[in-house]
Order: sequence, then structure tokens, then C-alpha cells
Amino acid sequence: MWRYVFRRFVLLIPTVLGVSFIVFSLMHVSGDPIRLMYGPNVAQEKVDERRAELGLDDPILVQYVRWVWRAAHGDLGHSIRTNDRVATMISQRVEATLSLTLLALFITLLISVPAGVISAVKPYSIFDNLSRIFALFWVSAPNFWLGLIFILLFGVHWQLLPISGRHGPLWTWEGFLSHILPALTLGLPPAALFTRLIRSTMLEVIHEDYIRTARAKGLAERAVVLKHAMRNALIPVVTLLGLRMPWLFGGAVVTETVFAWPGMGRLMVDSIMKRDYPVVQGAVLFLAMLVVLANLLVDVFYMWIDPRIKYD
Amino acid sequence: MGVVAENLTPTTEGAPWRSVVRRLRRNQLAVVGAGIVLLLVVTAIFAPWIAPYDPADQNFDALLEPPSRRHWFGTDDLGRDIFSRVVYGTRYALLIGVAVVMIEAAIGAFLGFVSGYFGGRVDAYISRLIDIVLAIPTLVLALAIAGALGGGIYNMILAIGISGWTEFARLMRGEVLSIRNSTYIEAARASGLSDWRIILRHVAPNTVAPFIVYTTLYIPAAILWAASLSFLGLGAQPPTPEWGALIADGRAYLSFAWWIAVMPGIAIMVTVMGFNFLGDGLRDALDPKMARQT
Repeated sequence: MWRYVFRRFVLLIPTVLGVSFIVFSLMHVSGDPIRLMYGPNVAQEKVDERRAELGLDDPILVQYVRWVWRAAHGDLGHSIRTNDRVATMISQRVEATLSLTLLALFITLLISVPAGVISAVKPYSIFDNLSRIFALFWVSAPNFWLGLIFILLFGVHWQLLPISGRHGPLWTWEGFLSHILPALTLGLPPAALFTRLIRSTMLEVIHEDYIRTARAKGLAERAVVLKHAMRNALIPVVTLLGLRMPWLFGGAVVTETVFAWPGMGRLMVDSIMKRDYPVVQGAVLFLAMLVVLANLLVDVFYMWIDPRIKYD
Repeated sequence: MGVVAENLTPTTEGAPWRSVVRRLRRNQLAVVGAGIVLLLVVTAIFAPWIAPYDPADQNFDALLEPPSRRHWFGTDDLGRDIFSRVVYGTRYALLIGVAVVMIEAAIGAFLGFVSGYFGGRVDAYISRLIDIVLAIPTLVLALAIAGALGGGIYNMILAIGISGWTEFARLMRGEVLSIRNSTYIEAARASGLSDWRIILRHVAPNTVAPFIVYTTLYIPAAILWAASLSFLGLGAQPPTPEWGALIADGRAYLSFAWWIAVMPGIAIMVTVMGFNFLGDGLRDALDPKMARQT
């Protein structure tokens, strides 16, 4: 297993290089960032001087290689706007994004696993029908709109929870309260999807021969469902979890904007609007690496829960 | 003999369209979905006759009015009728959904097809490209592309189309792989047909059904991505009545004029539900297992 993990880790390098090339190329499509920053009325000499200072007058390939070399050593450059180190800007915001996405993932699993199992054990019951309606609603509504609905209900009308900003780390009371609405916004739509998937896989597994054998042996229904059926039913769920990682981080971008959350998503949107290329490049590269690492972790977890899986 | 003949039958051959339509009509949710999609198309075409006001008309005597008989969905901060703006927004939603899916399908289906059929190094390179693009969250990539190209509906369509083709490619690759290994394709190859003739006569026709299903199921995703980009300010620009942009307009007035943001969101939800019902129904109706049962 560790050989596979090491090989996957090594294979990350061409993937990350490919991502870096795409991101780097994109940022140079839209025109001169210095002119865009200074506006049309500034003298060309000043623009040229600033461009030379930042190395933006070198050939594109030279700029790319220089950027990759520095990124590999932890230097993602400086913001064109504020001159702050990009790596510092990212490190100041990554905790906010990670705490939000992890809590959202926890909410997704907390809701979907029991709801999916109960729906499968009692198909076409009131609970099952309600969970279908719930799934339909959350999957169809745009998540930023759901966030606004939450703000309207829980913040404006009932005044139960804070509606903007991060009021502290997740492990403090104020911090935890400020995490709830954005995490629900991010975590409920995938919970709907996962509930239906778990229901579907549990229904398949419950009719397998080994489940019939377990029941015939006299095992309590609870043990049959939780110990035998659920473990096998969760295997495709883990696969989907890996596939949904990019969605989770992408969804965080919009959620952070709705709730004025000081995370990487907001940093990225602000930097794109202001054409702050080094920040956009660094943030997208960092997010892509998080996605790739998360997928690797999911693969390793997959191997752990299913002993039949052997990767070459 | 019968068993051999059955094995040689292509997976979707023998599922005539009449029986597909019959199975579709038996699925109540699919019928509801088709009804919703039809309603959207009619609304988009006849928007000038359905909307009681011009979507850009400002009325400073009716600022931030709640829903009433005069303005069914209320008015916004410039006195514009929200119902009329939502009605006209249907045009943009359908345009964006169809255009994005066409771009995704053109890129993704082509690459997936080539990758699945030819295999080997071609498959390896294309799969690696898919992995690289998939490593960047679709919305993030679309944002970055839209930011590079500048705002506006057409740049947004291009941005989402270029970002979102990978799933299409993977699905098409999977379909082609399963068809490529069929016995009848082997027989066609053994009989001396060229690759291109096999692709055109046997493989491509058998991917039409899943292709139709994927396009129907991807339209709602495209509409949701577009709404997100417009909400963030990188899609449709004011005063275009695109639904995501309408929600963004309503954000500042949420506490005392909730209808500006809520009504377009309901429109998005109904649209997505309609296409999802129809797409799920099409997928079930075109399922060859169900075709053999009927």
C-alpha cells in the first residue's frame, strides 16, 4: 500500500505542473496587469518601469519557469496591489477555508449516512419520501441563494446566528456559531446527493446473499445493517466523496463571498476582479494541490475499508 | 443461435423511439419535467407578450415594492418589475444552458470518444489532461477564465464550457470503452472494416442515446454555474436580467426587500428540477434493460 501511496505522490508532480501551466497561461491572456492597475492616464514610462521591476517584460516561458522554480521553494511571489507575500496571504486564510470545508463535510456525512441507511431500511416510508423531497430541494437550489435564505431566516428574522464574518476559530463558542450558517450552506447540497446514493447502495447490499446468511444465523437486525450492510454500502460513497472534493472547494468560493468569510475563496475572487495575477496563480495552485491531496487520502481510505482493493 | 444473435446485438439497437416515448410518458416525474422545460421554452420565446413591463423600465414611484397585484414579484431599487425581469431572464438561462453544454459536448465528447476508442498512449495523454483539469475546481477555473477574458455573458459561456468538459469526456470514454469491447465490434474489425467506418457505422450511433441524456442532465449544472459567476460579478453585467445577477442585485436589500433575491432563486430551482426530472426520465427510458422488459 505504501508503494502505491508513494507512486501516487510522485504522480502529483506532473499534475501540479500541468495545473500551474494552465493557471499561469490564463492570467496572461487578459492584457497588461500593470496598465490595468494604473489605468489609462499614467505615463507609459512608469508602467514600463513597474513591469520591469516585477519581471513582467521577460518572455512568458522565462516568467513561467522562474515562477515554478520559486513556487517549489515556497515563494509564490508578491501581490501586485499590496506587495505582500502571496504565500503569507494564503497562509493567513487557509485555516478559515479548511475549517469551513471540514465542518461542511462533517455535516454532509452526519446527515447523509443515517438518513440514507434509514431510507433504505424503511423504503417508501414517510421518512424516505421526506428525504427525497429534501434531496430534490437542496440539489436544485443554487448554494449562494440558499446562503442568502439562511441569512434572511436565521440572521435577519430570528436573529439566532451571526450572518457574516468569522468570529474566531471553530473550537471557540463565537467561532463555532459563525461557522454554522456557511457550513450548512456548503454541506447540505452534497448531503442530499449522498443520502440518495447511500439509500441506493444500501438497498442493493441488503438483498445480497451474505446479508440473508447473517439474518439466518440469528444476528440482530441492527448488527446486520450496521456491521455488514453499511460497510459495503459506503464503498461507492467514498468514491463519490473523492469526486466531489473539487466541488466542495469550489463551492467554498461562493459561500465565502456570501458570508464575507475571510478564506481563500474570497481572496481569489477579489484578486481576479483586481487582476492581481500572482495572488490568483498562487491561490488556484494551492487549492488544486489541496484537491489532489484530498483525492489521495480518499484513495488510501478506500484501500483501508475494502481489503479486496489492491492497487498495483 | 439465439444466444449468439443476442450477444451480437448492439446495446441500444432495437429500442425504437416510439417505445422510448411510451416509457417516458409512463414516468410521471419525467412528464412533469418535460412540462416545465416546455413552459420555459414558451416563456423565453413569448417573453415580450408574457412580461407586463419592459425589464429595463425604471419607475421611481414604485421603488422596492413588495409583491402585489400590480407587480407580482415586487420591484427592485430602481422600480423595475421583478416578474418581467425573471421572465426575460428565462432567455438567458436557456441560451447559457444550451450554449455551455454544446461547448462542453464538443470538446468533451470528442476527446472522450478518441480516448475510449483508440486507447493506448492517446488514452493515457487525454486521461492525464482530464486529471489536470479536474484538479482545479470547475468554478475556480471558470472564474479564472472569466476573469482573464472579462465579464459578460459570452465570455462566461466560454469560460464555463472550457472548464466543464471533463465529466463529459469521462462519461463518453466509458461508453465508448464498453461498446469497443463488444463482440459485434470485434466481428466488424475481423471483417476488415476500417476504424473510421466502425466508428461511424457502429460506435457513434450507439452513443447517441447516452449523449442525449448527458446533455439534458448537464444543462441545469451549466445554469447553476452561470448563476454563480454572475452572482460573483464575472458573468452577466447590469442591466442584463440574468437570474444570478438578479440575486446579486437583491443581496443588499435582503433584510427589507427579500423578493428581489428570492424570486429569481425560485426560478432557478424550478428550471433545474425540470431538466433533472426530464434527464432522469430519458435515462430510464433509454436504458436497454428496460427496453428488453417492454
